[in-house]
Amino acid sequence: MSQTHHVVVEVNGVKREADVEPRLLLVHFLRENLGLTGTHIGCDTTNCGACTVLLDGKAVKSCTVLTVQADGRKVTTIEGLGGDGKLDRVQEGFVAKHGLQCGFCTPGMVISAYALLQEKPHPTEEEIKTAISGNICRCTGYESIIESVKYAAKAGRRRKSPGRPSGRRS
Amino acid sequence: MKIVSVGFVDEEQDPDVRFVRGAGRYVDDIKLEGMQHLYVVRSPYARARVLSVSGGITGNELKATMESVGEDAGGRSTVSFPVLSASYVSYVGQPVAAVLGGDKYEAADKADEVDVQYEPLKPVMDPERSLESEPIHPGTESNLVAAAELGRDFDLKAPVEVEETLRMERIAPNPMETKGMVASYDGSVLTVYASTQSPFSWREGLAGSLGLKEESVRVVQMDTGGGFGSKGGIYPEYVVAAYAAMKTKRPVKWTESRYENLLATNMGRGVRGRMKVYADRKGKLKGLKADLLVDVGAYPLGGGAWTAKWIASQLVGPYAVPKAYAAAKAVLTNKVNMGPYRGAGRPEAAFFMERMMDRIADETGIDAAEVRLRNATTRETTSPLGMEAPPSKRFFTEALRAFRYSSRKKKDKVGLSFFMLIPAAYGGESAKLAVEGGRVKVWMGGSSHGQRHDVFAKKLVSEELGVPQDVIDFQHTDTGAISGGVGSWGSRTAILGGGALVEASRNLKAAAKKNLGKKYSPALLLEGDYEAEAFFKPKDMLNTLGANLATARLTKEGNAVVEEVLSFYDAGKVLNRFMLESQVTGGVAQGIGEVMYEHAVYSEDGQLLTASIADAGVIHATEMPKSVVMTAAHRSTLPHGAKGVGESPTIGVPPAATRALEVLLGRRFTTLPIEPEKLWAHDLPGRERTR
Repeated sequence: MSQTHHVVVEVNGVKREADVEPRLLLVHFLRENLGLTGTHIGCDTTNCGACTVLLDGKAVKSCTVLTVQADGRKVTTIEGLGGDGKLDRVQEGFVAKHGLQCGFCTPGMVISAYALLQEKPHPTEEEIKTAISGNICRCTGYESIIESVKYAAKAGRRRKSPGRPSGRRS
Repeated sequence: MKIVSVGFVDEEQDPDVRFVRGAGRYVDDIKLEGMQHLYVVRSPYARARVLSVSGGITGNELKATMESVGEDAGGRSTVSFPVLSASYVSYVGQPVAAVLGGDKYEAADKADEVDVQYEPLKPVMDPERSLESEPIHPGTESNLVAAAELGRDFDLKAPVEVEETLRMERIAPNPMETKGMVASYDGSVLTVYASTQSPFSWREGLAGSLGLKEESVRVVQMDTGGGFGSKGGIYPEYVVAAYAAMKTKRPVKWTESRYENLLATNMGRGVRGRMKVYADRKGKLKGLKADLLVDVGAYPLGGGAWTAKWIASQLVGPYAVPKAYAAAKAVLTNKVNMGPYRGAGRPEAAFFMERMMDRIADETGIDAAEVRLRNATTRETTSPLGMEAPPSKRFFTEALRAFRYSSRKKKDKVGLSFFMLIPAAYGGESAKLAVEGGRVKVWMGGSSHGQRHDVFAKKLVSEELGVPQDVIDFQHTDTGAISGGVGSWGSRTAILGGGALVEASRNLKAAAKKNLGKKYSPALLLEGDYEAEAFFKPKDMLNTLGANLATARLTKEGNAVVEEVLSFYDAGKVLNRFMLESQVTGGVAQGIGEVMYEHAVYSEDGQLLTASIADAGVIHATEMPKSVVMTAAHRSTLPHGAKGVGESPTIGVPPAATRALEVLLGRRFTTLPIEPEKLWAHDLPGRERTR
């Protein structure tokens, strides 16, 4: 093994430390080192978005971030949404409107939608489409995903909450 | 038999809830004690002699060939497809060796230990020139794989004669989860956790290639991230990974990158149709001639043996034509194998025929819908090419009404398609039920890779047994749990698996009644221990009809796009409308991708130029037209009344959308994908930009 680097990454509100190779991708660190297998790998060219996570609150594709680049930063994965066994409203939207089929792109889609609603709680349909255009779904034709995001936005309005998750996310 | 659960998937939880929580369990999520990762070393050449290969597992050690199974099955080929080639390679990406490492990075590093010496040869890339080229497989006489003639040749003079050469180019299936598996061997049983459409095909193929008895192979389906035909059969990598697990007595995981998936997964389409139709001035068909050429790639195991004939047999579609003759050939090229992709031969036949119906409309000046209606049938027919079809006139009249065709045509640039869906009913399907501990476990011989078959399965079993749905646990297919099965493809699972579920439920109820006598009740059933299986084979023809209407418009930038797709399909009794709409809209997206962008492009020396998922042309949310899904519920003769629907959109959308774009731009399109550079309106002087 080549030289390792010590990293401290806050993942879903918990500080995780490890000695990692500089080449280790964040997505592999999450999946292999931490066992957070909800973040998926669908391509190798940063096109599909199945690996999308939040890095310091911003949606990023974790296949294009080195673990060492995440040192000292905060990562939220799909497992970090919601809390206390409850689903986040975005996750609820995807269940209510069946915004998925095979489920493989779903965690990345949910994270991208979550990031959108953080920034724009009441997006237009075009804004939703643009926000998820970095995530590929081969199953649904996207309509049900767009409906899921609309549902989540409406749920946010009903609750009059700014939409931050109640869980451990910092 | 008590089934030992392998326990990766929490079957009691709603799949949607698992998936949104990131709690899906796919192959790559499995971690077993001592597990190693397999990395496959692949040919960088489309055609080459292998002068030497050393390091890792090679074909000198693993002298196995692929057995043709699953949806691919179509008779043994004279050309053997080596698991690892030690003599010559026939496509870029063909496996030549494999190495193991503790993790993915280490395994990839180990690839440096493999040394392969090649002598590159000139590859055969153009199917049109395949037959005049040197045979790609040494010891064979030509690159011809199959030739079929259907119907009887004829001479005819007709007032309207139209000829056209049409193409549907090769495309990559691109499920979001690439292929993969984990193999584990305990000294007697090889257990394989699979991303698959058919555990039973895997069992047969792995046992066949490795010389094992089927009883000593158990294949368990994991959550499977899409397949679209590409995960029905087996691939060389699966055999190598299973072999490596048996050799090292340690679990072995193999998952591929997207790049590998694109290089080395069976691709769909790749068919040329030279069509000639004869009609009278009223648009009535008098004759049809076709000359088909199918590019089956390097090894004819992806359906190469049967695809040419299969497409030819469907060409007449839902119409009546007195005379028809089709000649079809399948030829080899130095590309990865052709295989089933959602529709698998049905879209090709429909595209070729529907384009010709539009040509007749253009030649005669008769409305495109009217031309189709004039050739529709009022009773069940068998075409001169041998295909049975249900009467189509009434259905198409219903479809035009549902589309509000007349008013849409006045307002929009529209394209229309009528077609027939032939579900893959052959072989039937199995189902099993087991009552234990107050719950009912349900299996089918082939199950979901995204279709949520659990929804209709629970509904049917609940209705038959009278037990609530929440005591029913739907299981992924496991060859250790159910005695036989086929697989999930070809619009078959809701009809055949559904039929098997109804029969298995009735068998279960009969077993319980035998035990309980007159006291029988659903509550008492749940208190007992019962098991029942059924293997369902339908007796009647299940071919069904569909229609699509597409509209096209120009964007403000001057690009032609498909704006809306209306689908009207005879799905029989709809088992779950929500899931049906989801399936259809997803298929519409694939149909639009095929029309606009999707194309596997190879260079002259055989390199795949579209080697990323972006280049492959899969559509994004911003490119999706509006989808409206409607059904005609004409029950089938099956116990639950269902008909197939899964492939309908990839059959019906391409011809309808192509026509809409053609009408909008006033340009004839004969090849899919049309490709964006041909969809600009800039060179149409005088055309007003919309918006």
